[in-house]
Parts: sequence; structure tokens; C-alpha cells
Amino acid sequence: MTTLLHRRHTAEQLNELIESAPEGLIALNDDHRRSLSARFRGVASNEHRRVDAWSVERAGQPSTPFRWGPTTARRTIGNAAFRRVASKPELWISDAVHHEIDDLLLRALSGSARAGSLGSWLSSLSHPALGLVSAEAMNWATQLTEAAQGLDYPWLIPASDAYYDVATARTTLRGRRDLIVERDESRIIIRLRAGAPGKSAGPGLRSDMTIDALAHVDGIAPARFIGLWPEAGVLLSVDGTMSDLRAGARDLVRTAVVQRRARLAIAA
Amino acid sequence: MTLLLPSSPLNVVDALRGDRAARPLANLTSASGLRAQLEDGIYEIIGKSNPDSPLIVRASSLRQSATTTDLSFSAIGRIRGVLINQLLRLHCVGEHVDNAFEEAVDAWRAEVGANELHSRLEQMDDDERARLATDVTAHSVTLLRSLGPLPSRWMPRSTVRATQRLAAGNVVLRDVIDLMMGMNDAHSACVVLLDVTTSPLDEAAERTMRYHALVETLRTSIVPLRTSVFSTATGELWSAGVDHELLTRSCHEVLHAVDQLWKSQ
Repeated sequence: MTTLLHRRHTAEQLNELIESAPEGLIALNDDHRRSLSARFRGVASNEHRRVDAWSVERAGQPSTPFRWGPTTARRTIGNAAFRRVASKPELWISDAVHHEIDDLLLRALSGSARAGSLGSWLSSLSHPALGLVSAEAMNWATQLTEAAQGLDYPWLIPASDAYYDVATARTTLRGRRDLIVERDESRIIIRLRAGAPGKSAGPGLRSDMTIDALAHVDGIAPARFIGLWPEAGVLLSVDGTMSDLRAGARDLVRTAVVQRRARLAIAA
Repeated sequence: MTLLLPSSPLNVVDALRGDRAARPLANLTSASGLRAQLEDGIYEIIGKSNPDSPLIVRASSLRQSATTTDLSFSAIGRIRGVLINQLLRLHCVGEHVDNAFEEAVDAWRAEVGANELHSRLEQMDDDERARLATDVTAHSVTLLRSLGPLPSRWMPRSTVRATQRLAAGNVVLRDVIDLMMGMNDAHSACVVLLDVTTSPLDEAAERTMRYHALVETLRTSIVPLRTSVFSTATGELWSAGVDHELLTRSCHEVLHAVDQLWKSQ
């Protein structure tokens, strides 16, 4: 049975989703991790593969290769700017975005940024293109600020996304997360999304939640994982139950299978 | 003798800000009624049938008229509109613009890459390109002079997209607001919406203003403070406080657009 919930995006509804998140902690143990690893090992791969919620939502179909652009850079810069604003409340979002971009450019100029990194891409941009990147990042950071300011519970900004290397399966899972809300002993994760949720948004959220649980040092799953689509004014959530975690893991493995088939088809 | 003032006595941002003490309380209750009104109206139009593809309503759907041709919909008009929007985005983040046309083209290239309009721009001969550059520069002077500085505390953001699905996804309202300022607050109405057009203002611009307010209300469930439209062709600003009557009127206009789209399917 799915625990997917759909709500309109308002501060009250978001707080209500946090308030009503299930009690009790569900944890993934070593057996779960071994079982997942065995399943991924069963899907042979010649190269290191990366699976995330986006590839699950696309049912493993190949997408265009990643390249930096104002829309792909906005989350990284916007989240970092939001982190600056949270630690220095006197800072405005626009200033925080500019500081973040300046830091990335300095890193690139000093030779610390590797080729293909965000800093190195930014350093190749013209002045107006950099302005456009700032504009996109500002929109993102403002949406995140609006969401966080309405929360009645303590929250923190994760230092990074959740990454989990599946042992001996040459597979890295990446779970995106933008805010962690602390409620008693449990945690609720919020992920900000652009656009409107599609039919596969639920499986995407479950995958993110499963990866977050796998990346947790004790395997403890978030009590609830909330996807927030400000452009559509929609909130979707899934609960950290064992059945949802299993469904999330199944989707991740299926995605790896489809990716492998697609690679074999291209090779043939 | 004609004297050109360095700046107009009241800029657009000051006009949008208005009197802080006179702001109405946040209206958190209208959105559900408007949504119900739209759902009922759409049911009367399309009934239980399912269109092959969703009927997509945009601000431009409310602008177009079967009996008139709007020159702003020509390729050159659209390119000019896109470039002015890029300049607005750069102004929004405090970027100083020296060469309006070239910098707008640069920003546009970074945003979308290759597309039909972009190819049209690339195919222009030198004369056409020079005419467009002059046109864009003239519009940008009007825009930047009239707009005034955008204070960071107003949290200005540009090209804010919104999507609303109605009638089980059979009708989709899509909108892009050129400039949005202020943050939603549970106590008083704070959000201001601004549409920037390179055409002179007319009745269609009013419908666009109302549409922005409606979609924003449906998206956030909070009625914005003000919705406005600014013409870089004439330097005119039309601004209206958002109330229930304005939103209801926009609902009727959206339903009319849905009816037209349904009949044309």
C-alpha cells in the first residue's frame, strides 16, 4: 500500500505534514544492505554507474548528458546562498548569491577547481551569462527561504546530498535533499523541485528516501520525505515505512536494469 | 526646448511599493473558491470528455483575438520581448548593462541555446540586426530609467514560472511572471507582480495582469498585493490592487479561453 500524500503547498499544510509524520524509527540493517548489494551485482556493468531519483523517474531511459547551465547550476548555488543567509541573517539573498559565485570564481582562478566543475564552468562565462546564473540561483534560494521560514519546527540545511556506494557493485546512489526538519528523534526531509510533479514523482521521492536511509550511519529512514513543487504549488510526501523503502530499492535496481539494457542496445 | 530629466519623479518600484501602512490583510481564503469556480466552469465546457492532450492556457491565450493581428507576435517582436526580458533579469540581480543588445543576446544564448527564434536572430542581415539593436536599446533605456533600483530586501526574482492543473489535468494554466517582489506573509499582502511588455498597453494587457494575479493566488493560496504591467514602448505603468472582483473576472476570462481552445480542438 502506498503512503503517497498530495497537498496544496501552504505553510500550514507543510507543517501539518511534518506534524502527522509517523512515529517510530524504521532502520535498514546489514541484511538489507547485503541484499541490495547482491541485486545490484546481478546487473553487470562495465563502468561505474550512478542512479538517482531523476533516472528512476525517467524509468532508466537515457537522458542527454549533463552539462552546466543556469538551470542546472541554480540548485547548487541557491542552496549554498541559502546556507550563508541562514548563518548570517543580516545578509540578503541577492548578496549571498553574489558572494557564492565570487567564491566559486576565485577557486577557479586560483586553480583549485577541477575541469568540468561548476567553478570552472562559471569562469568561462561572459558577464551577462553570469548575471543570468545569479537570477536563477536567486529564484531557487528565495523559494527555499519561503519554505523554511514557514516551518514551525527546527530545521537545518544538509551539508551535502546523500550518497551511498553499493559495496562491490560499482554503483553510487545519490539522494537529493534540501532541508532536514527535526521532530523529536525523527527527521523529515524536504526536497525542492522545479516544474510540476509527473506521474513518476512518487517513485522518485521513495528512491530519494531509500538512498537517504542507506546513507544514514545507522540506516535510519526519515519519518517522511516531502517533495515540494513551488511552481505548481504542490506538496507530495511518502512515509519511511519498510514497504516504501523496499519499493524505493526495487525501483533503483529496476532502473539499473533498464540502463544496462539501453547500453547493450547501443553497443549492439 | 525639450528637457530630458535624468529620472522620472516616481519610479515603478516606488509605485509598486505604495504606502506600507495601507496594505490589506493577507487573503488566505479566496483561492479555494476561485479553484472551485474554475473547476465548475470547465466541467460545463468539456463535461466528462477527456481531450487528447491537455488544454493549455497561457497569458498569450487571453491576449490573442481572432479579428486583430498583434505585431508583437511577429518573430522580431518576440525576439525584442525576449531580449528586454533578459535585460530585466540582469537588472534584477544588480548587473550593470553597458551594451543592451549584445549583453541581452549573450544572456539569452546562455539560457536557451539554439531554438527557432534564436536561429531567426542569427539569420538576420546587418541592417535588420542594427534596427533590432536600436529598438532594444531604446526599450531598455525606458525600462531601466523607469524601473529604478530594485532593493534587495524586496527579494526581487525574475521569470517566475507557475503551473496549475485543473479538471484532473485536462486543463493546465501556465504562467511566467517577469518580475515578482516581496515574500508571502501570513499577516499582510506583500507580493507584487510585474509584467513587462514591449507593446503599448491595451485591454489585453489588463487581462494579462489579472491572469498573473489569478495563477499566483492558485499557486500559493495567498492573494498578492498588486499586479501591474509596464510598457517599454510608452513608459506607461498600469497597476491594480488585487481583490476578489479582479480574480473572479480573470476566472471568467480563463473559462472563455478554455471554451475557445475546446472548440478549436
